Amino acid sequence: MQRQDTQDAPLFGEEDENNQTKRSKMRHPLVSFFHLFFRTSAILVYLFCEILSGRFVVCMVTIILLLSCDFWTVKNVSGRLLVGLRWWNQVDENGTSHWVFESKKTDSKNTTSSAESRVFWLGLLVCPIFWILFVFSTVFSFNIKWLVVVILGLVLQWANLYGYVRCKVGGKSNLRNMAKNYLSVQILKRW
Amino acid sequence: MAASEEASRPFAGLSDVSISEDIPVEGDISVPVGPSRRDDEFSTLDEPVKDTIMRDLRAVGNKFIHVLYPKRSSALLRDWDLWGPLLLCVTLALLLQGGAADHEDQGGPQFAEVFVIVWFGSIIITLNSKLLGGTISFFQSLCVLGYCIMPLTVAMVVCRIVLLVSSGVIIFAVRLVVVTASFGWSTFASTAFLADSQPPNRKALVVYPVFLFYFVIAWMILTYSP
Repeated sequence: MQRQDTQDAPLFGEEDENNQTKRSKMRHPLVSFFHLFFRTSAILVYLFCEILSGRFVVCMVTIILLLSCDFWTVKNVSGRLLVGLRWWNQVDENGTSHWVFESKKTDSKNTTSSAESRVFWLGLLVCPIFWILFVFSTVFSFNIKWLVVVILGLVLQWANLYGYVRCKVGGKSNLRNMAKNYLSVQILKRW
Repeated sequence: MAASEEASRPFAGLSDVSISEDIPVEGDISVPVGPSRRDDEFSTLDEPVKDTIMRDLRAVGNKFIHVLYPKRSSALLRDWDLWGPLLLCVTLALLLQGGAADHEDQGGPQFAEVFVIVWFGSIIITLNSKLLGGTISFFQSLCVLGYCIMPLTVAMVVCRIVLLVSSGVIIFAVRLVVVTASFGWSTFASTAFLADSQPPNRKALVVYPVFLFYFVIAWMILTYSP
């Protein structure tokens, strides 16, 4: 189920260029916009809540709504349409829950655009780091009233990040092998 | 096959015992999904966004209806989601605002308090039922407990409307009746879903924390005064 990054060798130069322009064009600009919009506006509202509105409750509810919309959008829409990955949870009759991670098998017709892929992974990787910083700043400045919102943000953003990284990597053993391979390549490079 | 032949050679006396060559060795490495469901999922990978939204909204609405008419249904538990509990929690926390005189300063802790009670309480109950050997999964239990807060939220709405009129003893009696009825409804609805997953002699042990949980929420609703 691994997505293969190799492309078929083009027979003629024109096919290669055609493929490249197809890959770099954005096919879902609205989805990319919303992918980034909810995450960044949640962070901005958190940072500028004093200026935007005096009432704490309004800010809190807005951030919670933005975080939930972002979680739903990234999980159900942007991952599927921008990079062809998806993860979900299923419970069978015995009550055991299974986490399923799938990635789209690509043929030459359905290659995902590299610009959109960059947008997706950038948004996915950068924002959770902000929420970790917010957690630390809340705890250390004893601003406990924000703790609920910040922890919610942390949980939701990291859940999506973890889910998609696992989809991309394709399984827990692969993650360990990947890490091992990466480290060994790095060590060998130094020599 | 080669291994079995090699293994049988040292045991010369057992040469007539051998695994015949034409036993097929085959199997299925199956993902924990039935094949038809899997094809279904792959075909929904490219569905338009509106379909996704409608599907999720319908799932959430379905669960709300199940809480209104609770009957033992395992289909409800199969596809859990936490959107309903989040929505109900936010609504309840907003409605419980303004209990003190000053809106500006004291809005925060009360809001966070409701969140903490609902989610932390649900997690504790889930851990309790899992430790008692229940066959329900963590998120399913959170889902059920969260959705069954709906009657109490409705009671909160009714209480706030009633309190706009006046706040005498009769109004208090009305509120008491409404809150008690919704508390009983919530507890009944959640045990209808949760009790099935427990061994029969443990049902009371599982039900009483649920009882306490909804009792605390009902108390917060009843003691709310604008």
